[in-house]
This record gives sequence, structure tokens and C-alpha cells, in this order.
Amino acid sequence: MTLLSTNNPVPKAKAAEFTRPLLLTPSEDWKGYLSNAAGRIFLFMVTFLSVIAVLLIFIFIIREATEFLTGNNLKEFFTSVGWYPTHDPPEFGILAIMAGTGYVTIVALIIAVPLGILAAVYLSDIAPFKLRQVVKPIIEILAAIPSVAYGFFAVLVFSPWLEVNLDFIKGTNALNAGIILALMALPTIISVAEDSLSAVGREIREAAYGLGSTRAETLIKVVIPEAHSGIIAAVILGMMRAIGETMVVLMAAGMSSQIPSPWWDLADGVRPMTATIAQEMGETPKGSLHYQALFAIGFFLLVFTFGLNMLSEHFLARVRKRKRG
Amino acid sequence: MRLLIRQLWDKFFTGSAVVSILLMVLALVLILGPMLVRGGSAVFFRGTVEFRKMQLALYNRGDVDEITTESAEVEKSRQVIFDTLNHFRRGIETEHLIKRARKFYRDYGDQLRQQNTPSEQYTLLRSQAKKIRNKLCDAYESENKNQVLENLDFVIQQQDNSDFKGTLLEELFVLAQKYKKVVQSIDLTRREQYAQSLNEVQEILRQLFGPLPGEPTPSLALFQYGATRWDLAQKYLHRLLWKEEWIQIAPDKPLVRRELERKTLFAGTELESIFDEVQNNLPVMLQPHPTFYWQYFIDDHPPGYYFGGVGPEIIGTLLITLISMLVAIPLGIISAAYLIECAGENIIVRVIRTCINTLAGVPSIVFGLFGLAFFVLYVLPRFHMASKECILTASLTLALLVLPVIIRASEEAIRSVPRTYKEASLALGAGRFRTFVTVTLPAAAPGILTGIILSVSRAAGETAPILFTGAVAFAEVPRSLLQQTPALSIGSYVIATSDNVGMNLPHKQYGMVMTLIVLILCLNIFAIWIRSRTSKKLHGY
Amino acid sequence: MKKLMLVCIVTTLILGTNAWSAQPSGRLQLQGSTTVGPIGDAFAEAFMKMYPGVSITVSKTGSGDGAASLVDGRCDIAMMSRFMKPKEYKQAVEGNNGFLPVAHVIAMDGVCVIVHPSNPIKELTSEQVRNIYTGKLKNWSDLGGPDSTIVPISRDTSSGTYETFEKLVMNKQKMAGNVEYVNSNPQAHARVKFTKGAVGYVGLGFVDNKVKALKIDGVMPNQVTISSGKYPVSRPLFLFTKNYPKLGSLVHEFCTFYLKEKGQEIIESKGFVPVTNY
Repeated sequence: MTLLSTNNPVPKAKAAEFTRPLLLTPSEDWKGYLSNAAGRIFLFMVTFLSVIAVLLIFIFIIREATEFLTGNNLKEFFTSVGWYPTHDPPEFGILAIMAGTGYVTIVALIIAVPLGILAAVYLSDIAPFKLRQVVKPIIEILAAIPSVAYGFFAVLVFSPWLEVNLDFIKGTNALNAGIILALMALPTIISVAEDSLSAVGREIREAAYGLGSTRAETLIKVVIPEAHSGIIAAVILGMMRAIGETMVVLMAAGMSSQIPSPWWDLADGVRPMTATIAQEMGETPKGSLHYQALFAIGFFLLVFTFGLNMLSEHFLARVRKRKRG
Repeated sequence: MRLLIRQLWDKFFTGSAVVSILLMVLALVLILGPMLVRGGSAVFFRGTVEFRKMQLALYNRGDVDEITTESAEVEKSRQVIFDTLNHFRRGIETEHLIKRARKFYRDYGDQLRQQNTPSEQYTLLRSQAKKIRNKLCDAYESENKNQVLENLDFVIQQQDNSDFKGTLLEELFVLAQKYKKVVQSIDLTRREQYAQSLNEVQEILRQLFGPLPGEPTPSLALFQYGATRWDLAQKYLHRLLWKEEWIQIAPDKPLVRRELERKTLFAGTELESIFDEVQNNLPVMLQPHPTFYWQYFIDDHPPGYYFGGVGPEIIGTLLITLISMLVAIPLGIISAAYLIECAGENIIVRVIRTCINTLAGVPSIVFGLFGLAFFVLYVLPRFHMASKECILTASLTLALLVLPVIIRASEEAIRSVPRTYKEASLALGAGRFRTFVTVTLPAAAPGILTGIILSVSRAAGETAPILFTGAVAFAEVPRSLLQQTPALSIGSYVIATSDNVGMNLPHKQYGMVMTLIVLILCLNIFAIWIRSRTSKKLHGY
Repeated sequence: MKKLMLVCIVTTLILGTNAWSAQPSGRLQLQGSTTVGPIGDAFAEAFMKMYPGVSITVSKTGSGDGAASLVDGRCDIAMMSRFMKPKEYKQAVEGNNGFLPVAHVIAMDGVCVIVHPSNPIKELTSEQVRNIYTGKLKNWSDLGGPDSTIVPISRDTSSGTYETFEKLVMNKQKMAGNVEYVNSNPQAHARVKFTKGAVGYVGLGFVDNKVKALKIDGVMPNQVTISSGKYPVSRPLFLFTKNYPKLGSLVHEFCTFYLKEKGQEIIESKGFVPVTNY
């Protein structure tokens, strides 16, 4: 205190510096408080927009599909194989169409899940660091190629090749679409699976190695079961990708609304739900029964993918919990 | 022993993991390779003189003098073929002559009308002229030499009739004289055989060289030029030299394709020589040079779509993507900011996160349905506008599709900014808002930018949402936001499956999809590069 | 910064394209059938050359869509390969801006049944075609051909070609489940071109040397048999307008272009049958 003698006076403080306390109560600084609160409310509203968007999606799709759904066509919708919307009288049975989606999805998963898990294992455990830096961008490019380009390849390059070299009767069929869908679902499966495999800590792996297991045994018997929730989530996400894909199946799945006979004949054309909507929507008069039926298919798709999404969220939450704790 | 099995199993497992990665890389190469290479031939190819002529006429590109000299040279070298053809034709191709006779008759009728002849005389003259025309046409069609000469003599006699002196009908007499000379020298019975093959040969020559000299200019640009690319010319040449036939070698089996040398169809006539002539001298007749047609990316496609580029599609894609980004980016960044800075762990925030994840998982076609039901059929009428699909509705639908991607990428980017930045700024006295805007956001900017670029590439490639909310194939560049627009993605779909032109000109099909892939690959590689740079800065690896 | 540059580039491009085309003295929007599509394209091209200030857009999405957009007012001329259905006609007359649709017949067309050139079959009866598409006949050997599965290809249900085929050949019976639906004439043509066992139907203008047209009930589809009506699956091709277009207007010129010699030449060069024997 004696240092600050009157001989060397303290320089005058600049305006608004230290003339008021650093922390103000809301009643003292109501302007700042109000602007802060207003800002937060604005941010909240903007973020809430996504919730409103989801609600709107559900509302509007249900709205257009209601008349059809509440009519007495519901039983026929889910159990009949015949989809003849412009016939007289029209028939709206989506059993064959749902089977179509099922066929291409199952083919895609059969190919993509083993390949995806193996690739994820490679990326998380086997690959040297430099190689990982090279392979990851390749997978990202595989994910970035637009679906139209995949569909283009499927119908103009792959389909004639199948007909000429493998003597297929028809090149556009469930197998063609399934293989291409597998390629599209692979990056999703790989990235989520790799994430969850890396989340399994080093301790577990080191413990297994310490007990003398080979790499394969560690991975198969210890790491993968440990990361099972993430891998299930990856498979579900890959399935969602395959179900929701439109352009590839529109061009390459054969567009016959039938259940292939015999049931294991993958070289027969099928018509998935997304392709039906895409092919027929542009031409139906708005508001007609056909239009409502297409919206009903869309609603069914929405509900189904919503359910899958919730399921995958559940499994991913488990992965996050493991990562944190 | 068991150890060996375990080690083998280990090697096998590792090997299969490596194989899976290799399979993916192989698949990538197999898919991208043909499309990029074939599409590249839309930009890099050997263009012929016809291509340069077409560019000059339609787009005013190229040196006029050079092209004129080239055309003159080329015509000289082709003249040999056309002379032989004409000479041969005169005896064989009577359909062409019949058409001319009919045209003269019609023009004569027009001439009479223009001269305002009184109606009685008009009908009389016309019926007489019609009789002459019919006799001439019968003469052309018949294969009985005597009948032919009889008809021709009748026509020639009419020449003395004073009514027809000085009118267009004299042309008919000239034709009759010429034909009489020709008929006396050739064998009429083989004519039917030759006529069919001659027609085919002429058709192919038209495809190679454009309209034959003496023919009127066709009204469609497609027929006005010959083969504009050397690879197309080779294809036509092959079709000229070899005729495709399907022969039955065994009953109840499919027919087998055989190729027959077309030369043998004309054995013994003068036309035989043109096949070798064309084969040996085609480079001289077409003058192919390597061409770099970079204007492919900005050219409009004239109606008929045989020529031109993908300019309107690129502009359409850029427009739709730009507008959807303008809507989605602010919404996305603000939402991410809220979720990280201000949100607590209550149930509302959980609901919001669930909804964002739901949006990310909705199939793209359902977005299209929603866009149709909401934006086109509900929102537009609210603003007293017609319920038309347009760029606005398509972009808004795409914005919704892209929103979750931006939110996720921004969230990650903001979260990865080290806490020390934020704490240092707060310690220096800046408020939370100012900290966010001046410190956190710039530090997270590369990550957010990466997210934006990835979502731009996603939006540019999506087809299903814009399929029935505002995009059409092969339209012109839109003038207002309330019009429909072409886009690369929907153009690729239509040209791959439904376009008549595309089926015959594969370079157009692959060109469009190549443009789309190149655009998206550039965007993605750019994003990956940015990310690797900032990753080094922030994390050290 | 990058966004700003992008905005500038795009704006310049848009303004630039505005400068390319001269002040339009008229715009025409055509929409509708993929069968009439090539004629519409060709007419548009010839038209735009004759009247440089005109801009015409042709959109090929199917006859049903053409009718719907004419009723909605989204196009000026609808190209259709079938006549308007009573429901569409009613919508047009009773709609918001009610009008009477007027049909102009610009060409004749025949729906030709095509197969791969390697197929030895040369002709079929309408009954056999019907049985193929309803699924009763599954193998080419049932028809006297090689032993291979039949792959039937059909147009989608909003197509005028499909309607004509359904009315004249199918007798309103349902198509089998294994029929592959394609969206346009060129696509049907491409499927038959590539698949050996395929059978499909397209308009006459899409038959070329890569596919083989079959005789139906003993009649080969060509210009003579179609215009005389001998070929059983013939039909006229229409342009529909709102009321009769005002004499001398752009729409009227376009709709009467087919009467001129040039128009008929174009129609013939595209493979269709001109209405008059000029």
C-alpha cells in the first residue's frame, strides 16, 4: 500500500473499465440477460426445426395415404400379390413388392456383412498406419459415388456382361441389384463397425494376446463379441441403406412385380418398394387412389426405416457408453 | 499339431481380411474405370471434318477459311464414289425418280394456281398432266421392257402438245428422255434385287458423309452432317463393308449371326469398286484429327440432342445445390452450435437428437414424396402460386435431406476444437457468443467446410428427391426459380434408360455420367485434402 | 469466400445463357408420349430454325402425364399416343380453367411386336401374344422356336402404347407377374436388343435393324398396312391442345405443321406413317 503513495498517482482508469463489477445479476443487467435468453431461444427454435421437419414428414405422408389406409383395402394391401393399379377394377397388393425389397436387401447383406466386418477388422487391427490413411479415403470415395452412377453401371455394363458371359436369361434381376446394393452399403457398415472395434480398449486385446492367442483368435473370440452391439448397429444401418436405395433398383432390379418362382431363383426380376414409387409417381393424377396407394407404400417404408433407426440408435448408445466408460 | 491349425487359421483370417479390402478396391476400379474412360471419349476423341463443319455452322467456332479448304479437298476425294453411285443409280433407283415426277406434278399445279388460270381449264390441264405423270411412274415401276418403252413413248409424244410448252411439266419430258436412254442399256429384271441393297448402301453413305450431292438439305441437323467422330465412322464403315444376317443352322435353335461381304452382292457391276475405294481412302475423305472438345461442359444441346454438350445440366445441378445449401448451411451450423453450447441433458434435447438421426435415415424417395405433398401441393398454393414443380421445391427438399449431414459434421468439428481455445477466450473476458463466433467457429471452420463439401457432393448426386419435385431431363436452362430444371443426376438416369439418341451414341450417355462422377470426385478429394491438412494441425497426425 | 465465388460464377452463367438466346418471341412447352416424342423433337428443331425467336421444350414422360399437365396448365401441347380417357376429358372440361381439349392427328403408328434378331420366329397371332403376356406360354419352344424362356417386356401403365396394346391385344386381361415394366419406347427397344429371349412392343418408329418385327395375324407392320388399317394394332398419334388454337398463333402453326410437305417428310424420316400420301 505504501508503494502506491501519492507521489506516483495511479493513472486514471479508462471509461467502462473496472467501474462496475464483472458479474451482474439478471436484475442489474436486464438488457444483457434478455438478449442472452433471446439468443438461446432463437437457437433452440432453429434446432427444433428438425423435430418439426420430422413431424411434418410424418403428418403429410399420412395425410395423403389416409383415405387409402382407412378404406377396406388394407387387408388386400398386405396379403395380395397383384399390383395392377390401372386395371379395371384396380388391385393394390404389395406382397410381391415387399418381397422384392426383401430379396435385394438379403442378397446385399449376405455379400456386404462378411466383407464389411472383415474390412473393418483389417482397418482397425491389421493395417499399418500409413495403409489406413490410404484405404480410408478409398472407402469414402466408394461411399460418395452417386447412386445414379451405380445404377448406370448396373444396367449398361454389368447387365449385358451377365447375359453374355454367364448366360443369364435376364441381366436385370435381383442378383444384379443385390450386388450393387452391397457395394453401396459396404462403406456404411465398415465405418460404423470399425468405430466400434476401435472402441474396444487395448486392455482386452492385450489380455488375449498375453494368454497366447493368435490374432485371428483374439479377433474372432474376444474383440468381435465385445463389439457386438456396434457391429449389429452397423448391419442395421447397412440394411437401412439398402432398403432406402431407389435409383439402382429402379434401373437394375428387373421391375417385375412378382415373387420369383422358384423362390430361390435370384436371376428373376423383382420390384422393390422404392422403385415402384419412383416409376409410377410421376404419372399418377394427384389425389387418385393410385396416388394414395403409392403414399401408403411410402408411409410403410418410413415407419419401417424409423423402427430400424431406433433399433440402431439403441445399439449405438451401448457403444458410446463403452467408449466413455 | 493344434498349433499349426491355429496358425493356419490365423493366416487365413488375415488373408481374407486383406482380400476383402482388395475386392473393394477392385470393385471401385471396375465401376469407375469404364464409365470414366468411355465418358472421356465425349471430350477427347478424333473428330472428322464433319465435326468441324458442324461446330462452325451451329456454334460459330473454328476458322472459316481452313474449314472451307478442307471441305473442298474432302469433296474432291469423295467425288469418285458419288459419280459411280449416280451412274449406277440411274438405272436402278426409280423410286427417287418417281418422287421427283410427283414433285414436278405438284409444282406444276402450284404454278397453274399462281397464274390464276380459270378453274375449268385448270382441272382439264391438271387431269391431263396427272395422266402423263401416272404413265411415267408406271414406266418407272414396271420391269417389262416393252411396256416401259410404250409408256415412255406416250409421254414423249405429249411433248408436242402446245398447252405444256414453257411450263414445269417439261421437266417430266426430260426425265422420260433420260430414262429411255438408260433403259435401253440395262437389264431390268435384276433391278428389284439391286434396289434394296442399293438403298442400304446409300443410307450408310449418308450416315458417313452427310447428304449426297444433289439432294436437298434435310431439315433436321441430325441428317445434315456425316460421321462427326472417327469411331462412329469406323462403325459405319464396318456396316458398309459387311452385311449382318441371321441364319438358321439347325431347326429349333436360335439363329446365328453371320456377316456377308457386301461387295459380293454387287458382283459384276460398277458399284463393286466403291467398297475398296471407301475402305482405303476413308481417312482422306474424313480427315480425322484429335479433338479436345472441352466446350462439351458448357454447350447447350440443340433439339435432336445428337450434338452438343451437358451445359444446361451442369448449370441446373449447380443451381439446385446452391439454393439448398443456402437454406441448409445456416440452419445446420446454428443447430450444431445450440446442441454443443447451450443444450443440457434433458429429454427435449434427446428428442431433438433422435429426430436428427431419423432425418438422416429417411429413404430419399420418401423425401421426394414429402417434397411433393408438402412443398408443391401445400405450401405453394398458400402463397397463391400455381402448384407446379420447380427449382424452389426441389432445392428445399434437398436441403432437408442434407441438413442432418451438416449438423453431424459441424457438431464433430466444433467438438474437436480443443477446450483450451474456448477457455482462453473466456478467460480474456469475451462473452460466450463472441467466443463462439470469433474463436471456436474459425477453428472449426475446416471441419465444417469439409462437411459442407461432402453434403454438396451428396446433394449433387441425389436423384430420387428431385425426380418429381422439380427436375426434368433435357430441358433448357431455367430463367426463374419457378421453373423446372435439368440436372446431371436425372439426366444420367434418363439417358441411360429412355433416350433414343443415347442408345445409339454411347459417348453421350457415358459423357453425362462421367461429368457427374468427375464433379463429385473433385469435391470429395478436395474435402479429404482439407481434412488431412487440418487434422495435422489440430491433432498432430 | 468460396461460396461467394460460386454465386458469382453461377449468376454469370445464368446471365450469359440469357444472352445466348435472342429475345424469345414465343415459348412452347410440349409434354407427353415417348412415342410421339421423336416427332415433337424434330418438329421443334425445324420450327426453331424457321422462326429463330421461338423456344420450344419437349418433355417425354408418357401420355398420361401429358394429359395431366395439359389439364393443369403446365404445358401448351400434349403429345399423346392414345385418345384422352373420359376421366381426363372430364377433368379438363370441369377444371378450374375449363376448356375443351382438341385432338390433332399428326401421324399414324403401329404397335409392333419385336424380338431379338436371333429368334427364328417370324409371326405370331394376337392370341399367342396375349398368352405370352398373361403367362400361359412360358417358353419359345411352345411357339415353335428354340428352347429358352420368354422374357416379356411391357410399357408402364401410364403409357399410351400400353393402353393401345391392352385394348387391342390383351382384351383387358391382366398381365402376368413376370412381365418387366419399362418406362419408354427406347428402353423397351434396348431390352429386346440385348436380351436374346425377350419380346416387347414399340411404335413403328423404333423398329430398326437391331430388332426384328413380327407379323401379327399374318400382316407385317409397315407404312402401307398401317395406313390402310390392315395391321391389327394401328393407332393415330395425337397432339392435344386447349380448344382449337387461335389461327396464326404459334400453337396453331405448330399443330398444322404436319400438313406441310416438310412436316410429312420429317414424320416419314422418323419412321412413322404420314397421314396423307403426299
